[in-house]
Amino acid sequence: MGLIGDRRIRPKERETTTVFATEPPWLLQLQGFSGNYRGLSSSLKPFSILQEDEFHKLANVTMNHLLEKIEDYGDNVQIDGFDIDYGNEVLTLKLGSLGTYVLNKQTPNRQIWMSSPVSGPSRFDWDREANAWIYRRTEAKLHKLLEEELESLCGEPIQLS
Amino acid sequence: MMMIRQAAKKALGLTSRQSTPCSVGIFRSYHENVIDHYDNPRNVGSFDKNDPTVGTGLVGAPACGDVMKLQIKVDEKTGQIVDARFKTFGCGSAIASSSVATEWVKGKAMEEVLTIKNTEIAKHLSLPPVKLHCSMLAEDAIKAAVKDYKEKRVKTGGV
Repeated sequence: MGLIGDRRIRPKERETTTVFATEPPWLLQLQGFSGNYRGLSSSLKPFSILQEDEFHKLANVTMNHLLEKIEDYGDNVQIDGFDIDYGNEVLTLKLGSLGTYVLNKQTPNRQIWMSSPVSGPSRFDWDREANAWIYRRTEAKLHKLLEEELESLCGEPIQLS
Repeated sequence: MMMIRQAAKKALGLTSRQSTPCSVGIFRSYHENVIDHYDNPRNVGSFDKNDPTVGTGLVGAPACGDVMKLQIKVDEKTGQIVDARFKTFGCGSAIASSSVATEWVKGKAMEEVLTIKNTEIAKHLSLPPVKLHCSMLAEDAIKAAVKDYKEKRVKTGGV
């Protein structure tokens, strides 16, 4: 989620937090930013840092899977102005007057970002244990969230998991 | 595709306001509220971050294209935010979102500004779907600034 991680591990949080820093502090300082790097939430569960190539593999599989499933879904539901496009690693799903979804890979953070006409912006991290993309603030899983929202918007259930 | 179009718009500057749309296709431009904040930014600048009445929120990451620093100056007696400053590195929507955030926090109590939602900022600026993340960053910046101020108070033994 674009957090600047806290590189000073405070004793009380040592057991629970490894915050993923998107840029090393020395680089940020070079770019003119100095001072406090703080994670916004100290209740982050530990998650291991994804290597970039592993991230790309996982994210690409997810994006292509969503593209395929939602394309099929579009053929079955009658939504005026339904359009789905995947270009430059950005998945844009137009649902006519119901709104537009934008999903994209945010490689520096190893995240998938989503903009939803229902729930607004959210940022999903890969959770190895759950084998899913999870938005840490709400514990929502990407596939489940999309399933629920699309069903409530379009009236037809969809299986994305 | 959208990102290339937006990058091109950035490179060309925000002259889309005056120019006529292309003959083919939809020409999407920044909402006038966003352009207003870009042309007339409010509250740009910094406070001394060591000042005990100042809370500093720094959110985002340059690699993602957005970094926001939002600072609040709090009246210690009343807990009200009396002034705010911001500095943002990012797109027009990010600049406008943080500018709006500094306007909205002024004169409010700290607990009240924690209820400012990214959806309100996005609505005010008519942000398109791809830019909703900017408004969330602004909401996060407000929360980070308040959190920083509170932590400073705890450290100095205040309330």
